[in-house]
Amino acid sequence: MSERDDRPWNAWLEPAGSDELGAVEPDARIGPRIRTVAELTRLVRERLRAAPDLRDVWVEGEIGQVSVSAAGHCYFTLKDERAQLRCVVFREERQRIAFEPQTGLRVVVHGRIDVFEQQGHYQLYVDALQPAGFGDLALRLEAMKARLAAEGLFDAARKRPLPPWPRVIGLATSETGAVLHDILHVLRRRWPLVRVVFSPCLVQGDTAPATILGALHRLARWTDADTGRGVDLVILARGGGSLEDLWPFNDERVVRAVAAFPRPVVVGVGHETDVTLVEFAADVRAATPSVAAELTVPSRDEQRAGLRSLRGQLDTAIGRAVGTQRGVLDGERRALEGLRPSAVLVQERERVGLLLDRAARAVAGRLAADRALLARRGDRLPLLVEGRLVRARTDLHAATGSLAALSPYATLERGYAIVRRPDGAIARDAADHAPGDPLEVRLAQGGLDVRVERVRDSAS
Amino acid sequence: MPFDAALAELQSVVGRLEAGGLPLEASIVLYERGVALHDHCARLLGDAELRVQRLLEQAGGALRTIDLAPDDPTEG
Repeated sequence: MSERDDRPWNAWLEPAGSDELGAVEPDARIGPRIRTVAELTRLVRERLRAAPDLRDVWVEGEIGQVSVSAAGHCYFTLKDERAQLRCVVFREERQRIAFEPQTGLRVVVHGRIDVFEQQGHYQLYVDALQPAGFGDLALRLEAMKARLAAEGLFDAARKRPLPPWPRVIGLATSETGAVLHDILHVLRRRWPLVRVVFSPCLVQGDTAPATILGALHRLARWTDADTGRGVDLVILARGGGSLEDLWPFNDERVVRAVAAFPRPVVVGVGHETDVTLVEFAADVRAATPSVAAELTVPSRDEQRAGLRSLRGQLDTAIGRAVGTQRGVLDGERRALEGLRPSAVLVQERERVGLLLDRAARAVAGRLAADRALLARRGDRLPLLVEGRLVRARTDLHAATGSLAALSPYATLERGYAIVRRPDGAIARDAADHAPGDPLEVRLAQGGLDVRVERVRDSAS
Repeated sequence: MPFDAALAELQSVVGRLEAGGLPLEASIVLYERGVALHDHCARLLGDAELRVQRLLEQAGGALRTIDLAPDDPTEG
């Protein structure tokens, strides 16, 4: 309006020149024709309605004042730096349009220009309204994705493996809604040994990115007061939604924060088609929040099965170890018995008995010391103490048994040796051997591989 | 002792026992250790309850965690 202030108030009524209105009715040139307001307004209205480029209009601007009439129609102004446009959304359209006009929002609206005669306004009759940029959201997304990808933010080489045994999981999500519940449910069922540090944030709306950044930042700098350890990994999750709902997960600041997070980040967004940029930046992308939780922890059931199997392996291995040693010793004992007069063996057995007594006393002494030690720790580890004592008693019996099997060693301790031929047969007669024959000598400690230097008969 | 550390040691114990070649007494000591580790791991699996804490930032920026009740994690 301001550019017209320098003209007379009725300048537009002048019929002369190229004035558009004058051109409509050539008769007006004959003399001033006085019209009624209604006539003129009707004229303007018809001209506007006739203009094809005003019937199907897309316009972008910022929403100014908004009001809703008692009938449910919504009126607002759309403005930019230089002009304003009156807009109306009728009740029926409002019910159809998902988006509600709000002051300050930048929007793209569609409709037709018409004149509201009673008030002399021309205005836009809106039939579609979206946040600005929504129409080309996908395009902007692609552009940003290309830019961040060019920076290497999404490179596979950047992706860090998840720690196999996380002790503390950081969780950033909304504290309302099902996602938090779902994730905790999975962790509780699957791996309750883990500790969850939950850092709440908003996952939808204009303020969501800032709260996500805050939640991630707090998780990054948190450490346990006792251990000094921080989180081992972070789950960032939200439920499904429209592209618009998911927009905070396309926010460049959030994308960068996820990529730069000091620990691996798993992102789980409950949707099926669109992939957000945050998911590209994540170390691991999960199809849903629950799957994100599944991926971060081992399975308790699998670990139980693994433990059972290890227990079996332990028993098998110890059985084999005892059996093998017993077999070796039994063989040597038989060899000794074959060589020695039984009277000597009786003496040896007596000696072994003394040795066993001594060994049993020694083991008992060690157990007593252990018991005292355990008793001192008992206030902290009552269960372990009881378990260990029971096992220790069992082991005492086992140790005693194995000492009995050691009796041939006692013979070797006295300085005897067992000499075998390479085929394992005991060497009994020098005459069976020739210089250069290889022999095997078993001593109390270890053995010798030797060769015959000279053969002497029994007289020499 | 955390589960993963106990499990790793248990696996090492089983490996050494299975490789054989150890004196009987060493084998028995290893076996005892293995059983203790196994029982420890099994107890951790059986007794564990998920611990959930909420991270709070106090005025001045200090961080604090508060335990959340297992039933309703949004209250606490």
